[in-house]
Amino acid sequence: MNAFATLLPVIFPIIAGIGLLPVKFKDRKDREKWVLSIVVLNALFALYAIWGVGGAYVTLFRFSEKLSLGFHIDGLSKVFGTMVSLLWIITTVYAFEYMTHEGKEDKFFAFFIMTFGVVLGIAFSGNFLTMYLFYEFLTLATLPLVMHAMDNKARHAGKTYILYMMFGASLAFIGFVFIYCYGSTTDFVTGGVLNPALVAGHEELLRMVFVMAFFGFGVKAAVFPFYRWLPKASVAPTPVTALLHAVAVVKSGIFAIIRLTYYSFGTSFLIGTWAQNVMLIIAAITIVFGSTVALRTPHIKRRFAYSTVSNLSYIIFGVAIMTPAGLAAGLLHMVCHAVIKITLFFTAGAILYKTHREYLYEVEGFAKYMPITFATMAITGIGLVGIPPFAGFNSKWALATAAVESGNAMAYFGIAALIISALLTALYIFYIIVRAYFPRKREYPAGYYDHVSDPNGYMTVPLVLLAIVSVVIALFPDTLLHIMQNAVLGIL
Amino acid sequence: MEVFQNSMLPILAFFPMLGAVVGYGIGRSNKKARDIWAWILAALTFAGSLTLIGKESVYSLPGFCGLGISFAADGFGVVLAVLTGAIWLLTTLFSKEYMADERNRNRYYFFVFLTLGATMGIFLSADLFTTLIFFEIMSFTSFVLVIHEESEISIRSAQTYLAVAVIGGLVTLMGLFMMYHMAGTLDMNELSVFIQAQPDRKPLYVVGILILFGFGAKAGLFPLHIWLPGAYTVAPAPSSALLSCLLTKTGVFGVIVVSCKLFLHDAVWGSMILILGLITMVMGAVLAVFSVNLKRTLACSSMSQIGFMIIAIGMQGLLGDHNALAAAGTFLHFINHSLLKLVLFLCAGVVFMNLRELDLNKVRGFGKDKPLLKIIFLTGLFGIAGVPLFNGYISKTLIHESIVEYIAVLAAAGQSTAFMRFAEGLFLFSGGLTLAYMTKLFVAVFLEENPYTVARKKTGPYMSGLTAAVLVIGAVVLPVLGLLPHATQDVLAEMGRGFMNAHAPEHAVHYFAWVNLKGAVISIVVGAVVYFLFIRKALMAKDANGNMVYVDRWPEWFNIEDKIYRPVLLVCLPYIGGFAARLAGSLTDGFIAILRMVIFNDDNGRVVPPEDKYFSAYTDGETDKTVYREGFARSLLMIGIGLAIAMVYILN
Repeated sequence: MNAFATLLPVIFPIIAGIGLLPVKFKDRKDREKWVLSIVVLNALFALYAIWGVGGAYVTLFRFSEKLSLGFHIDGLSKVFGTMVSLLWIITTVYAFEYMTHEGKEDKFFAFFIMTFGVVLGIAFSGNFLTMYLFYEFLTLATLPLVMHAMDNKARHAGKTYILYMMFGASLAFIGFVFIYCYGSTTDFVTGGVLNPALVAGHEELLRMVFVMAFFGFGVKAAVFPFYRWLPKASVAPTPVTALLHAVAVVKSGIFAIIRLTYYSFGTSFLIGTWAQNVMLIIAAITIVFGSTVALRTPHIKRRFAYSTVSNLSYIIFGVAIMTPAGLAAGLLHMVCHAVIKITLFFTAGAILYKTHREYLYEVEGFAKYMPITFATMAITGIGLVGIPPFAGFNSKWALATAAVESGNAMAYFGIAALIISALLTALYIFYIIVRAYFPRKREYPAGYYDHVSDPNGYMTVPLVLLAIVSVVIALFPDTLLHIMQNAVLGIL
Repeated sequence: MEVFQNSMLPILAFFPMLGAVVGYGIGRSNKKARDIWAWILAALTFAGSLTLIGKESVYSLPGFCGLGISFAADGFGVVLAVLTGAIWLLTTLFSKEYMADERNRNRYYFFVFLTLGATMGIFLSADLFTTLIFFEIMSFTSFVLVIHEESEISIRSAQTYLAVAVIGGLVTLMGLFMMYHMAGTLDMNELSVFIQAQPDRKPLYVVGILILFGFGAKAGLFPLHIWLPGAYTVAPAPSSALLSCLLTKTGVFGVIVVSCKLFLHDAVWGSMILILGLITMVMGAVLAVFSVNLKRTLACSSMSQIGFMIIAIGMQGLLGDHNALAAAGTFLHFINHSLLKLVLFLCAGVVFMNLRELDLNKVRGFGKDKPLLKIIFLTGLFGIAGVPLFNGYISKTLIHESIVEYIAVLAAAGQSTAFMRFAEGLFLFSGGLTLAYMTKLFVAVFLEENPYTVARKKTGPYMSGLTAAVLVIGAVVLPVLGLLPHATQDVLAEMGRGFMNAHAPEHAVHYFAWVNLKGAVISIVVGAVVYFLFIRKALMAKDANGNMVYVDRWPEWFNIEDKIYRPVLLVCLPYIGGFAARLAGSLTDGFIAILRMVIFNDDNGRVVPPEDKYFSAYTDGETDKTVYREGFARSLLMIGIGLAIAMVYILN
């Protein structure tokens, strides 16, 4: 029974998605009914599997002694799975309305549902092979979503996307092979699975492999210099950019890095070595780099995409500190950033949906006509900068504290990056918000404000809900941080 | 005194914010009811602050916002809370008439009361984390007050304000973070104990300066004063009054906390603060003398007066155990300046709501036939210029006495007194300038004839009974405080003493003894000389019609904001950053592009810029104009194969 409950949220949406592929809904209401019930049902399955069953290791299929398809829900899976499930429901509602303007909704929602299962597969996987498998599936399942529009731009983005992913996966695969050879098992075990007897004498080689695998998974997490697919993929429909390219896909990459670092190679093998320093430095570079480019990007969605690049590396920075506190802080930032960035993308999507404006100099003065959209953008935007008492402040504070406590000299480098990036974030976010609320000109050409109004409840309700969540997280972060700490320590 | 848990403290911070939301709701349907609600809200907050009098209260909300926030109100906090409540009530009453013709009034009231809550939160905070949270809220909410008019100039000024506030806030946050890491607490009193116990203070000074940065920026301390003149000038008069009386004072509050709690009796820190204060004081006064804009002069005056307070704070550090006079001077000038600037900015508001002009040449002669306004303004003038019998005289005397005292201390110790004598000279000189620029305003607005007519934009009397009442109440306080210093000001000074860890004075100060009056007389003489010989001669000229008018002689090139900050922040740094980022970003693409041009050499070698305004040169039907093509796929595959071979080799 436990096995079934664990597998159900992974398999059900994949089957449902495949089943939906040939279906042509005649009526929008029909489609909404079906899609929403599948998503909500599966979210319930997932939450039940996470909080109701939990724990047991489920082997689906065994290839050899060390290789199997296995699932195991531990603390980390719980955090990631819960976050994804809840956000998936909200995004689905938003997508119903948004996708009317993109068209081809049947195909879209089929893949969208499939992706849900695949992401949960990554969250629940109990060993490296299973995770690797779902990791590849994720690329394939999301490719049609990225290329949804099927114009030149989208095809180009899709091509870039798949090339980067293939490249990353090939590097990650090397990591897998080495874990297979040098590990006592390929399961995820807190503290790592490397077999000291086998490792002896090959430490440097293994660290080299770790760095390669880090970059491999890092491609999905958009670390410098493999970030380029992410801004390009912002041609995808906004729900995809918001949920997949700010939460599910990119954070799967981070999730895999966490598995790789803490559960396969083990922090004791890496801490204080050059491999850790590479991680820290790459994270610091990406943090500043992403913010700098974001500041120079006038396209709103791409600006947010670069901001994602930067923020993902905040999490990686937390992971790279390689202490429980660092990982907990990273996870906290993962949740805060998920809520914030999904809201920001939703607001950008709302603007795009209502007015077809994409550049920030085209939205001056819109706040008056789209009050809900821009109010939520302002609340979460201030949070993104990390200004107390808004969401995002506490995670950054926790990150910096963890960095200092680790005593690693490189960590100070990262703190400097955090601060520089905070300033840059302030600049690139406030630029949009201030201009939207306070336009530079009194008069704009005729037709400038045409169709500028808040979208309907399908889009505003998710926005308001997410903004409220972000404020609640900001005011009472302790509960969340405790959950993260427990997850890290394996007692959740 | 008994200390007890008092939930009034968080209520004072959060109730106005809640009320702001309610008021916004009311204002959407009924504007009259909203105005009345605003009065009720301000009155309730004021009443709430009054309940704090006479007791020492604390309150903490652990876990809130992560680190938890805590409030405390000893005498110092109580006085500031009452002051905030009173000034807010008066400006809210004043707003009714002033804002009658303005747009976006609902937004205005909403943010005014958010700001009220945040200001209360700052003044009542017991730890620096709480201070910072409310400080940040206040920065954002007051930004909306500054930008209220949404004219080009106000947007620019407000952006400067926001930029300074955000950067300052983040730097302070960094300082607090480092402090928290060192001390493990941000509670002001615990930090004080912690720092006293540190033998080596060098790293602490760095942290202290970081913390000071944000507060100093808010206080308008040189060289972060750039936002101040612009923001005060463009904000609506009630907001200018609030900015000058209270919001800027939150910065001074922060400086007091850092100097009197963290670096208590620290001479090194004190001298740094003193020097910053001296520069700010002189700079503000000089700017004010040159200004030809009514509110701008008052704004620069605020900057200068804050310099006086900062000097007093610095003197507290230098005097160490004998800092009673400096501490009293700090606190009293803090209060007196707030009361004075309330009156002066509201007077300026009356002028503006009638004429919609602030240029001295335009508002000239406005008050010639308005005796009530004239007397009220004159009271403010005497107060701020430190004329005996008015409140400003008392606090300036105390600050002056503290400098004199320190000179005596230095002389007794056989050390050089040259610098302190120079500081005293600057102090008296700036006092003179205060009188000079205030006289300039008074003469222009209330005594001179305007050779040109400026149409009144307002119908009805030049101010309503309510507005007049507000002004009279504000103005009556000033001479009362000045005439009865021992009964009023000394009491206030004593209430503030505990917070600043100051000692009781050894003897009562004889404010009206000749030795103390001498400083005021010197300042007044300096002021008269500057006014008649410099302002009337050098800063006025004949215009085309032969009339004497005020001219702006401030050199164009001497503007730190336009010549240094803006170019560096908006042009140089983004350019360098963008260039570096693009260079780095081109690494992946550029490498492939070069390979394609050199090794694969397949076509014309055209390279499309990786990220520009148009993202990439897409045109329908053409697919071969992008950098990535089969070449990229091939090279990736090659890499993959190469890595696989390497792996196989390693494994064997």
